Amino acid sequence: MTAQEFLQTVQNGQSVFLDLRAPHAYSQSHPAGAYNFPFHRQNWGGAVKQALQGQTPPIGIFVDNSVVAAAAQESLVAAGLTVAFAFDKGLKAWQAENLPVEQVKDLTVDELRQNLDQYVVIDVREPYELRSGIIPGAVAIPMGQLQNRLNELDKSKAYAIVCASGNRSASVSSFMSQQGFDVSNVVGGMSLWIGSRHPVERP
Amino acid sequence: MIFIPMWDGSLGCSSYLVGDSAGGKALVVDPLQNLGADSYILSAAEQGLEIVAVVETHVHADHHSAARELAEKLGIHVSLSHKAPAAFAFNPLHDGDVIDLGYVSAQLWETPGHTPDSISLLIADTTRSQEPWAVLTGDSLFVGDVGRPDLADPTVDAVKAAARDQFQSVQRLMNLEDTTEIYPAHYGASACGGLFLNHKPMSTIGFERKWNRFVQLTDPEEFTNQLLALLKPPPEGAAAIRSENLGQDA
Repeated sequence: MTAQEFLQTVQNGQSVFLDLRAPHAYSQSHPAGAYNFPFHRQNWGGAVKQALQGQTPPIGIFVDNSVVAAAAQESLVAAGLTVAFAFDKGLKAWQAENLPVEQVKDLTVDELRQNLDQYVVIDVREPYELRSGIIPGAVAIPMGQLQNRLNELDKSKAYAIVCASGNRSASVSSFMSQQGFDVSNVVGGMSLWIGSRHPVERP
Repeated sequence: MIFIPMWDGSLGCSSYLVGDSAGGKALVVDPLQNLGADSYILSAAEQGLEIVAVVETHVHADHHSAARELAEKLGIHVSLSHKAPAAFAFNPLHDGDVIDLGYVSAQLWETPGHTPDSISLLIADTTRSQEPWAVLTGDSLFVGDVGRPDLADPTVDAVKAAARDQFQSVQRLMNLEDTTEIYPAHYGASACGGLFLNHKPMSTIGFERKWNRFVQLTDPEEFTNQLLALLKPPPEGAAAIRSENLGQDA
């Protein structure tokens, strides 16, 4: 199956497309329609199967390395799933073939500190994690609630999404970007913000 | 900082995956054929890291290196001291060079002795401090011991010169703060160390300053004499393994 043919099946809702790379790589740019499901060696295929909640659609995988691609295919097959498509040459090769991508902007903690007035900061950590302090003015919306609270947000504003390390915020950023919001992912999250001694508020 | 020691107990070899958790860039130091090149790629992927450098602290004579295979799979060159007599194309490193991984960096010190091309890597995590947090000492400084000086060139004069270099290199490493952690390339029964090489795979500069008998010798002649007196037999097939790791056809 060619990439174009496979993407058509993704659009039709027949197949699932997984980007196996790390969240920070995914958040910068990823194939259109791909979900982020970073590879690991502890029964990764089983985790995919669990996330699919009983469905067994054909699966496509995207990654930048043939070793990881081979291990992932093996793991999916071991879990009883079908691999319909695999692309292991990374994003540059994907774009070189004029295949579609989705993008999210990255923001360093220093850039955010300098331009804090230009962003609405959303902290997607869980309430108990906020005790370490939040960025002044940040709005706390736990990741799990965000989907239901999108109506509180404004598509004319620029959002900066932050979590503890930058992983959850990467997923949230790409989701919000798909919904048409102007979002940037804060790389390194609060651990880097606090580590860089930028100011925090205690809720 | 992500810091993952990858050990092979059968030969007492240590390798390391060191990366910046924020930016996702990583380097691999002294990858082992016994663990396989793929295990480094998979470990890195699992940690969300992209390997941008494969560094050898020296050309090894006791075990087969996976550095070239790993670098080839990643489409990069192996990084080695500019003094390494390797027959393949590599990225030459010089004293003071810094491998920048983002918030984590590795500064290179040439620490000859075990071999002329031996280097140490000073690892800093600038989100904690500019000060090196750990030093990967290769075969320059071990836990309880120092690297043997006779494997690169076993002729008497060369071994003596190498032992004197080792003395200087060890003294230089002792300029680091006591709190700096030491992660060498070997531990336990490895043939690259001497009788006092400990089975514990890591230590600190402070502990070695206090308790490593070679570090405490302040006279280079006595250091050389003691080092030579305590040599173990060379590892089996050392010359052949070294030339294979150098890329010279066996």
